[in-house]
Amino acid sequence: MDLPGYYEYYCGVKIIAGHDALERIPGVLRDLHASRPMIVTDKGVAAAGLVDIVMGAVKDQLSIGAVADDVPPDSDLRVVNRLAALYREQGCDALIAVGGGSVMDTAKGINIVVSEKADDLMKFSGAGALKRPLKPLVAVPTTAGTGSEVTLVAVVKDHERHLKMAFVSYFLLPDASILDSRMTLSLPAAITAATGMDALTHAVEAYYGLSKNPLSDATALAAIRLISRNLVKVTRHPSDREARLAMANAAALAGMAFSNSMVGMVHTLGHATGSVCGVPHGVCMAILLPYGLEYNRHKREAIMGELFFPMGGSDVFAGTPKEQRTDRVIAYVRQMNQDLHDASGGRHARFFKEVLDREGKPAVTRERLPDIARTALGDGSIFYNPEELDYDDFLMVLEAAWEGVALDYGRIRK
Amino acid sequence: MFQPQSSYSFYSPAKVLSGNKALENLPVELDGMNAIKPLILTTPGLSARGMEKVMAAAFADSNLTIGVFAGVPAQPDLKLVRELYGLYRDNGYDAIIALGGGPVLDIAKALNIAVSGRPEDLESLADRNPLTKKLRPLAAILNLDLSGCEMTRYVTIGSLSLISPALIPDLMVIDPRTVMAEERKTVASTALMSLTQAVEACLHPARNPLTDAYAYGSARFIMENILDVLKNPSDRKGRMALANAAYFAQTSFDNLLPGMVYELGMAMSRSCHTHPGLIMGLLLPHFLLLEMKKETATRKDLYLFIGGPEAFAGTMPPASFRKAVDRIVEILLELQSLVTDFPRSIRDVGIKREDLESLVEPRSAAGVRGEYDPQDIRNIMEKAWETRF
Amino acid sequence: MNNYKEIQSGSKPFKRAYVALMLWFVGRAIEAAARVDGAVQAEFDGLPPEFTFSLGVMPQGPTMIVGKDAQGLVKYRGWDPEGQKIDLKMKVKNLEGAILMFTFQESTAVATARNRLIVDGEVPAACAIVRVLDIVEVYLLPKLIAKLAVKRYPDWSFGEKVLNRIRIYAGAIIGL
Repeated sequence: MDLPGYYEYYCGVKIIAGHDALERIPGVLRDLHASRPMIVTDKGVAAAGLVDIVMGAVKDQLSIGAVADDVPPDSDLRVVNRLAALYREQGCDALIAVGGGSVMDTAKGINIVVSEKADDLMKFSGAGALKRPLKPLVAVPTTAGTGSEVTLVAVVKDHERHLKMAFVSYFLLPDASILDSRMTLSLPAAITAATGMDALTHAVEAYYGLSKNPLSDATALAAIRLISRNLVKVTRHPSDREARLAMANAAALAGMAFSNSMVGMVHTLGHATGSVCGVPHGVCMAILLPYGLEYNRHKREAIMGELFFPMGGSDVFAGTPKEQRTDRVIAYVRQMNQDLHDASGGRHARFFKEVLDREGKPAVTRERLPDIARTALGDGSIFYNPEELDYDDFLMVLEAAWEGVALDYGRIRK
Repeated sequence: MFQPQSSYSFYSPAKVLSGNKALENLPVELDGMNAIKPLILTTPGLSARGMEKVMAAAFADSNLTIGVFAGVPAQPDLKLVRELYGLYRDNGYDAIIALGGGPVLDIAKALNIAVSGRPEDLESLADRNPLTKKLRPLAAILNLDLSGCEMTRYVTIGSLSLISPALIPDLMVIDPRTVMAEERKTVASTALMSLTQAVEACLHPARNPLTDAYAYGSARFIMENILDVLKNPSDRKGRMALANAAYFAQTSFDNLLPGMVYELGMAMSRSCHTHPGLIMGLLLPHFLLLEMKKETATRKDLYLFIGGPEAFAGTMPPASFRKAVDRIVEILLELQSLVTDFPRSIRDVGIKREDLESLVEPRSAAGVRGEYDPQDIRNIMEKAWETRF
Repeated sequence: MNNYKEIQSGSKPFKRAYVALMLWFVGRAIEAAARVDGAVQAEFDGLPPEFTFSLGVMPQGPTMIVGKDAQGLVKYRGWDPEGQKIDLKMKVKNLEGAILMFTFQESTAVATARNRLIVDGEVPAACAIVRVLDIVEVYLLPKLIAKLAVKRYPDWSFGEKVLNRIRIYAGAIIGL
């Protein structure tokens, strides 16, 4: 086990998991001296009946102050402000976020506004602006997942001023995260696959990144092992409750890993692709992950080889000579994408050329790759990537990821 | 195959800072908790070893004033809590830094309750009112002379014992400057205690993916470093790894209930004044051998934790658990040559055979299979008494 | 009470002086590098007009400030943030962290990965400045040390590097 010369690690979120974890929410809020929560969610989650399940589990012991289900797919400053006003009007004293990344970000944004009585959220952006604990926040993820139930980051977009505000603070961490299998039972195959690969990317990048530490390593390995055994299975058999719970655990573990070890070029390029072409985050992660491994390989060969143990399992690992393990890891990830593609009826994309937008048209065209490469230059996650990338390097990786071909090792500048 | 439960909860609120110049981050971390005047608690022994100077250097250039109380005794009591309460209040301190092991953390946690409310709170809490409010900032600086509960929710002061997650320190700092002084026997004892906590956590019926992750990190660091550190006491990296291992083990332990070996070790050490870690180390192999013989072993991959992925993958399953036990026994045997007066049996630490029966009494904590089977306890103790490694 | 004392935090004058000197030198080197190296100027060109950043040590300095003037030229702006509009503040959490960075025991990349720095401002701008610092470090340091300081040592021609290095040193020390 590697011990770096210096590291920091924090995850103060209480994790509560199980097939009936939701029923523990009233107790959690009671310990935090709260009793009148506002539920923050989105229409999709509500339509899937998940909010009803949550309410059913808690209504006997809590008085729900308000239910806000109009969070848009992208966190929006206007929504944050409006819902903060609703929170105050209804005399709420806690937040329960039921949903995916955008709902979590919105809830965290609302928490800043109501706790600091802020009229300008902008004042709290960046790191170090928050100085004391916020109101109680319970996170109930409905994907497996972004891991945002255990991260200290929130991103809120100001669509009027075309700004993306990033908030980084330990005080943004939820007080508790509820991992209940009921919340992902009805997740469609394509989203199951994409969010599962998001979790895998978090774990893998945390493991080979520059901020790697023993705790992020241990949680990442555990996440990878759970994902290897459960992601394809649950995409094929969506109502397998144990597999759903396993994936929920994996997403939280991966979230803890990357929240402390940060991520690298897969996220750099993924954020940029999402930003320029609107491709969902998990889809980008799945496609780019093999390239992150290939590009960084010359700097992290041995470390990447270790990943073959949780991926391939004991016997296969033992039977594979050390020099071949990284090859097997890369092949494993590509195979997983293929299996998910098959299990989702072709909806899970294996390369960018294949990604379709809502109207069924290609979402990423070759002409836009230079824009994506340029955008990637401004993303801080690149600091934690083992190898340097400039515009040309980004473009090279994007071209390969677009086409769906392996990276040419000869073209990687060392 | 025994399956652990699907339902669990896990909580670990401490922020970890480990490594070169970690102490120098204290000012900015305290600032993040709105504290600017910390009171440092430590022992005369640590002070004599220059820890005060180390702390002063860590705070140099910070513009802050710090207080140091270097008189924590081996068994602090409520009277001292009241005195320190006065000191804290009268001098405007707003945070506590505990530099040391069990006794220092005990007084620090108790003091933190007192200063976050009133000293009377300490006695009223003995009525088992759960302590849920947030306390004032508390940081712990770990060394290698540990009691096993420093970073946990337990505190024992005088005759008072409390359990609350609110007691867990907010910050845990491991710095090379604070882990170099302990001599071999102490290092071995702390490591064996941590190993016991980690192993019992990974066999615990209520274990979960997070306690497993922490137990894995702990066991790997111990197995990879204990012998190197004892052979070469100036191995900084190894010592840092052992301190990390102790913290990881305590975190798993804190999220589960104590195991049988831990409890027996603690009970025995009270009567013979030996570090409980040594006793736990002597009991552990016998416990594991008994475990191995049971028809439904609680887990088959213990060797993954003890030997690592390479060794585990290369071992055929039936032999694997036994190999884990053998590795631990190997360590115990090596310790005999590396540590003066290292006990080879619980007999060597002064336990009398007649006393064993009194230790079998029903244990309050859950054993590996629910309640401990008194016969199991007898078997283990008999074996431990008879065998000399 | 026995065993109790209060300690005022002292100071570390030599370490402070060293870091102050390094910051002064690096600040002026950045100004010089923008003149001679197109890549550095390009990074600054990509930043907003009159963009100014500071790199300093918490809690109370030393600091260096660098900014673009109205013509877009990069200028070292001294050590005193008072009265200056600073768009991006990069702060090293404590003096020891700054020593690790400026004795090159920890490169900018490693220091960031180890959370030694706090960044107050827009992330894309911080990325640009870190790239600038990397380039300047390659110029200032002998290859052996620079290779440890940056992730990928650039592939410059020998002549180009030597000439620019001389010009940057000259610019930093005597303001040429």
